[in-house]
Amino acid sequence: MGNGRILIVDDDPDFVAVMKVVLESERYTVAAACDREQGMDKIQADKPDLIIMDVMMSTWSDGFEMSRDLKQDPRYQDIPILMLTGVQEKAGISFKSTAGDPQWLPVNGFLDKPVEREVLLDEVRNLLSRKTRHGAGT
Amino acid sequence: MRSEISCPGRLDMEPVPENIRLLKGAYWLAKLRWIAIVYVVVGTYVAHRVLGVGLNEGALYVIAGLLVVYNTAVLVLLNRLMQADHQVPCRASNKIASLYNMIVWVWFNRFTNIDPRVSGQAVKRIINLQICTDLLLLTALLHFSGGIENPLVFYFIFHMIIASILLSMRESYLQATFAVCLFGLLVLLEYKGFIGHYCLTGFVSTCLRQEKLYVLGMFFVFTTGVYLAVYMANYIAIRLKHTEYAYRQANLMLQEKDRIKDQYVLRVTHDIKGHLATIQSCLAAVVDRLAGPAGGAQEADLIHRAYRRAVKLTDFVKELLRLTQMRLTDKSEMALFSLREALDSAVAGVQLQAQEKSITLDSNIDSSVKEMLGDRLSIEEMLTNLLQNAIRYTPEKGSVSLAARNNQDDVLVEIADTGIGIPEAEQSRIFDEFYRATNARKIERDGTGLGLSIVRLIVERHHGEIEVESKEGSGTRFKIRLPKGRLS
Repeated sequence: MGNGRILIVDDDPDFVAVMKVVLESERYTVAAACDREQGMDKIQADKPDLIIMDVMMSTWSDGFEMSRDLKQDPRYQDIPILMLTGVQEKAGISFKSTAGDPQWLPVNGFLDKPVEREVLLDEVRNLLSRKTRHGAGT
Repeated sequence: MRSEISCPGRLDMEPVPENIRLLKGAYWLAKLRWIAIVYVVVGTYVAHRVLGVGLNEGALYVIAGLLVVYNTAVLVLLNRLMQADHQVPCRASNKIASLYNMIVWVWFNRFTNIDPRVSGQAVKRIINLQICTDLLLLTALLHFSGGIENPLVFYFIFHMIIASILLSMRESYLQATFAVCLFGLLVLLEYKGFIGHYCLTGFVSTCLRQEKLYVLGMFFVFTTGVYLAVYMANYIAIRLKHTEYAYRQANLMLQEKDRIKDQYVLRVTHDIKGHLATIQSCLAAVVDRLAGPAGGAQEADLIHRAYRRAVKLTDFVKELLRLTQMRLTDKSEMALFSLREALDSAVAGVQLQAQEKSITLDSNIDSSVKEMLGDRLSIEEMLTNLLQNAIRYTPEKGSVSLAARNNQDDVLVEIADTGIGIPEAEQSRIFDEFYRATNARKIERDGTGLGLSIVRLIVERHHGEIEVESKEGSGTRFKIRLPKGRLS
């Protein structure tokens, strides 16, 4: 396998399992973490090419905080982040419009769960190719 | 989704600030005065020239002229007041604009761009001045058109009503007193002959100013009429204010309830969607043949995951329905039943779950615990719910105990465990719908968060009380007090 290494950070094990199946079918190498701490550990141990994360993990701001931490860290700020969530309705905010705002939601892509396989794969390919084109800094 | 047509704007019930209300009132008065001026001119002309009533025509036209000058002055005053508050430099273009505004305000009562800082006190002073001047001019008008003989005297009442609506109660009574004094003075001076009297010949057959009884009677009716009008208008105005306030409060409450309901729906749909999204994703991977060969381990795993989430979704919907049903039906089926049997049955029901985790399950029920009035199924459901929670959040080889003590009027049931406990900061929220303690979430991610809400509702339906004592890491104890026999 060699299309790229993807880390999924999501506390829903079923969702992680199915994401793994979908991404591995496209020959991505997939690792998973169920919370923020585990996610940071995995990133430090083996820097991924792309991170897919959920907005809400054990607390509802985990995803926000983790993405902010990563974007402020010079070692990791070049890793594109794709945020997936089902939380949009509950918060009553449209995350899509705020995605990319460095103060609020510093992520590179944003998709709502459940996500169609083709849409997901397009976004993953897009983010990975952008990364290789631009190099560091997004 | 909220329909824009069925939901009127929230601003509809916004109270009009006092200063704006007064300002509108002041302009409204000025507008009415223009009509009154036309009325005076036309009335004088018709009465004198057409009907041949004897009155001092020239003086009345002069009064009409004075009214024009004074009304213009009022508008200029009001306008200046607005400008001062707007703090706009007085340039020619502004003058034209303000003149235009003035016309729009006066004729269409349409207020745009009002500075909310306009001083209510200043507007009030202008209204008081308007009413005083009106009363003076009306008295003069009466003097030149027959005094006591002229039925126009009852037009004083209009100003009393206007004062009651726009001004304070004290101010409206002062205006009433002013009106009574003016009229009294006019009548007295004419009666004594200190000033002339313009007899309304053609309208009345004889001059009435010297008719003592008539004059006294008229003055008495006038005085009582004026004060009664002020009293009644004040009464109505106050009642209206109260009603308006009550409606506003009710409206605010409904808005708040609507907001809570919307949030509730969002919460529920979000939880349902979470499960559905995962189920759909799992099945989509199987349908798209991404999960290895048909019948393979990976495919089976995904189907199994989808199935488990479907079960959880069903549980969630069931609990939600149960809670909603309970809330919609005010009364449950109350009957005498054996609480002892219900307690035993609940303990027996969770025995297997306890065994699977090697948890000791103790039951210590007073022999005197017997019957109570209530809904047996609900009580059993409540007990089972608490016992299941205790077992779920107690590590293996821990212990869960149930104790029931009989008091005179009630039974005290305690369910204790040696489980993970509830963080102190979160204890007050555990009965809230959908709330799940952070440490509970770590043990089981997909709990419904509805169990304890159902428990509390059942206890409340039985007029009981429930409280929780817990220490994070060492265990939780729920204490439930159930009255034995109060009919709901």
